[in-house]
Amino acid sequence: MNRRIRVLMAKLGLDIHWRGVYLVSEFLKEAGMEVVYLGNSFPEQIVEAAIEEDADVVGLSTLSGNHMTLGPKVVKLLKEKGMGHVKVFMGGVMPPKDAVKLEAEHGIHKVYLPDTSMETIIEGIKSSMRDS
Amino acid sequence: MSTAKKEGGCLFSEAQLQQIEKDFQDWFNNSLRDSDRQTEGAYFSHSGIPIKLIHTPADIKHLDYTRDIGLSGQPPFLRGVYPNMYRGRPFTVRQLAGLGAPEDCNLRIKYLLDHGATGVNILFDLPTIRGYDSTDPEAEGNVGACGAAVDSIWDMDAYFADIDLGTISTSIVTHLPSTSIVIPGMYFAVAEQRGIPWKNLAGTCQNDFIMETCVGSAPEMLWPRASFRLQCDVIEWICKNIPRWNPISFNGYNLREAGTDAVGEVAIAISNAIATADELIRRGMRIDDFAPRMSFFWDLHNDFFEEIAKCRASRKVWYKIISERYGAQNKKSLLMRFHVQTAGVTLPATEPLNNIARSAIQGLAAVLGGCQSLHIDSYDEAYSAPTEEAALISIRTQQIIQAETGVCNTVDPLAGSYYIEYLTDEMAERIAAYIKKIEEMGGLVEAVESGWLHREISNYNTAYQKKIESGEMPIAGVNFMRAEEDRTHDIEVFEYPETYTRQKAKMKRLKKERNQQKVKMHLKILREKCHSDENLYPYALEAVKNLCTLGEIEELFREEFGLWNFQLL
Amino acid sequence: MSQKNRRKIMVDIDTLIEKSLQGEKLATARLISMVERGDQQTPYILEKMYPHSGNAYYIGMTGPPGAGKSTIVNKLVKLFCKSSYRVGVIAVDPSSPFSGGALLGDRIRMNAKSQTYDYFFRSMSAGRAMGGLSRTTKEASRILDASGRQIVIIETVGVGQSELDVAKATDTVLVILTPESGDHIQIMKAGLLEIADIFVVNKSDRPGAENIAHSVRGMLDRRHARLQWRPHVFMTSTLMNKGINELHEGIWTHHRYLQQNGNLEKRRKFQIKEELQQRIETELSDILWQHIIDDEKIEQLVAEVWLHKISPLNAARKIVAEWLGKGKIIQKTFSTK
Repeated sequence: MNRRIRVLMAKLGLDIHWRGVYLVSEFLKEAGMEVVYLGNSFPEQIVEAAIEEDADVVGLSTLSGNHMTLGPKVVKLLKEKGMGHVKVFMGGVMPPKDAVKLEAEHGIHKVYLPDTSMETIIEGIKSSMRDS
Repeated sequence: MSTAKKEGGCLFSEAQLQQIEKDFQDWFNNSLRDSDRQTEGAYFSHSGIPIKLIHTPADIKHLDYTRDIGLSGQPPFLRGVYPNMYRGRPFTVRQLAGLGAPEDCNLRIKYLLDHGATGVNILFDLPTIRGYDSTDPEAEGNVGACGAAVDSIWDMDAYFADIDLGTISTSIVTHLPSTSIVIPGMYFAVAEQRGIPWKNLAGTCQNDFIMETCVGSAPEMLWPRASFRLQCDVIEWICKNIPRWNPISFNGYNLREAGTDAVGEVAIAISNAIATADELIRRGMRIDDFAPRMSFFWDLHNDFFEEIAKCRASRKVWYKIISERYGAQNKKSLLMRFHVQTAGVTLPATEPLNNIARSAIQGLAAVLGGCQSLHIDSYDEAYSAPTEEAALISIRTQQIIQAETGVCNTVDPLAGSYYIEYLTDEMAERIAAYIKKIEEMGGLVEAVESGWLHREISNYNTAYQKKIESGEMPIAGVNFMRAEEDRTHDIEVFEYPETYTRQKAKMKRLKKERNQQKVKMHLKILREKCHSDENLYPYALEAVKNLCTLGEIEELFREEFGLWNFQLL
Repeated sequence: MSQKNRRKIMVDIDTLIEKSLQGEKLATARLISMVERGDQQTPYILEKMYPHSGNAYYIGMTGPPGAGKSTIVNKLVKLFCKSSYRVGVIAVDPSSPFSGGALLGDRIRMNAKSQTYDYFFRSMSAGRAMGGLSRTTKEASRILDASGRQIVIIETVGVGQSELDVAKATDTVLVILTPESGDHIQIMKAGLLEIADIFVVNKSDRPGAENIAHSVRGMLDRRHARLQWRPHVFMTSTLMNKGINELHEGIWTHHRYLQQNGNLEKRRKFQIKEELQQRIETELSDILWQHIIDDEKIEQLVAEVWLHKISPLNAARKIVAEWLGKGKIIQKTFSTK
């Protein structure tokens, strides 16, 4: 029996903007995924939640400049806790060169910069599940 | 919508109108092609007002000039709050300053003042905005990013080192009531220490429970009612003690950015003003004690004419409420003064230089709408707080509008346009209807606690995003004429990694040097007063003066008031 | 879809079970996922886990949307954790009728600064449950129980019958109301009165709170005169943190009541009996549909009913009669399963 993709969505740290992360959550739900919305969280809490919720995907939203500090930390903690199979996506505002770095060096599966269509994000998550 | 309108009609004579309507019908039937006629009914403004192919006097035949439009500086203030408008006083060129540690911001403020800014908006980093000290574990990764870190009165002193607080106008962008009870207090206390009388201080603080509960999310937030109480405490105390300070800026801007249309933006902000007025009157103040100090903050979005109409309409709606409902006597109470910022949400990160054009057009709309002060977003808003170069372009854009275009030479130059007057009238009606709807839910505080406002925001965003995805809402370079994603270009981002270390060291010194007995005592008093009906401002101010930190005071509020989170769905 | 991905990381099932019994969260979470999606290993998992369950205290919590259930759960969990209990929570939210997807938001309230507490929180979507919500929540909660959770809270939105059934199948049922919950007729209609052991009127600082508490007490007076346990009514306000400690104490009062006179045993046996009845029905109908009724036969009967040659009642009886005639085949089918 097919299991729906379970996605854990979190705002990274203190970042206050909930519009984007909530919007993406809504669209993922409409695309048939089960989205656990975590609100604002720190890496330890996010990983703890990913374990208990048995998430396939973790989506991190940040617009406040903490992407390089907190993003890689989530990936690292997931691996340490035996959740290395979880795909970590990030979305939000950051310099493009940081996005490249996060994907290439820090194990973030994909970074979506502003102006990305919802369709791209949904397809990105679905295909990450197919590939592995 | 237009059925219930009162007949007025001094603008055009009955005979003229008949002729105009007849001419219009002939034109519609004979001069247009079928394909043109079919477009009728398919065009709407951003917030859903039907737009005709051509507007004529017939669309505003019910308007009475004296009653509904009038002159500037006269009821219903549709055309502007002052008779002479920009000839008397140009709009304030207000730009943001705030990055890194207070010492860094201090340099930026001086730079802006040297280049012609007449007021400054000071920004804070997220830990400060949400009420955490730089050393709090929750602050990790955000100290000094997107604004300055302010932990104690020492930081406020550094922020404004060598700047004469008595001569500038400062907008303290605190966002939340719970921090507005603390951070502006630091500013007032610094002024007091420097011997500057409070009566000389001018400025604004953002102090809006909607910001605390609806616009931003947070790991921990206060109950709407608790936040609203603090909002009113701030207004009450400042009105009584700092005569030239605007203790609240009813923030339509961030609400709009979070997700409402122009109608919702204005209606929700005014509903907050209504709730506030009711509460302050309940506390024994008179409307004229505080209404002159209330100001508003609008977001200037893409729909050029609708935004101008919004500015005009909002003044009229406010005038009606304040005069008819509250019977305000002081003329200043009747005036809706507002600050405008161009819409950050309209600025894509793709091809960022295009944003200079977008922001300039939005800024022009703000001036045509009669704003009192203006901030034009920098083109790199979508990436970071503005770089120096981008900030300068924003100032120059304002100066171009102010000095080169000539739009400030006459008051409300678009008045009398059939389209503008039609839109203005429609906006005013829709705003009033929306306000009524909120009142029927028991007022804004109730509406927020029930989760209604979050649903409104969420529904709006989903609909808006669908319009972008489908191309119905065109954005050049994003959903049409899009170039390949370019990740090679470099955007300069201010980074102040040393801020954390500096703040940490400062905090260590503070905690060592301050009088622990006094700190404990003032926190204890404040804690007890949370459960009384007393205004908390003076107690928070004493705590600040005795070197209690922002985080200590906020943690106390969180513990005493309890935490709230909105209901999803 | 994610099956392949899962298989790769799936360690052998006995190891998972062993680790879960030792309290390891990762293993427990994975086992819950397996029973949730009706994995074929489910009977095996339950066979191994069930003997280790039965130690936890089960609390059900329900009420209309927006009553503040999650906030109360959050506060109770923290109080339980402070008294050194290991707590498990299953929070059920509705799913989209269109896409089957869900947006599960109860966890948001558990979030802040909770690192120091030992709890296990699992969000569940009502629409996802294979074979019914009550099956999944029961099985998931028993896994939590077996993995060492001493208190298991199951939270549902009290709008549908299946959600009420879920809350009902616990040791102590809390029904959360607010002044906005409406008059007593609405509460009766919603079926909330029958299942509650404890009533909570949340948002008690609002106008109308006393009224609703009063009318609930009135209904209880009429209804529970003959019963041993008369449900208590608590007033709480999560603003200014009021009433939560009292509620916490009230829950333990009901717990003590359950410990007397075999009350807990009676209650659980009654629930087990209900569950067995339900199980028998589902098992039978599963077999019926999977092995006995073929589509062709059904289509043929549909056509006959459509032509009014036979009534629906008699068509159904015909199928059952044929089935009963094939008794031996059925036995064979059943035993191979």
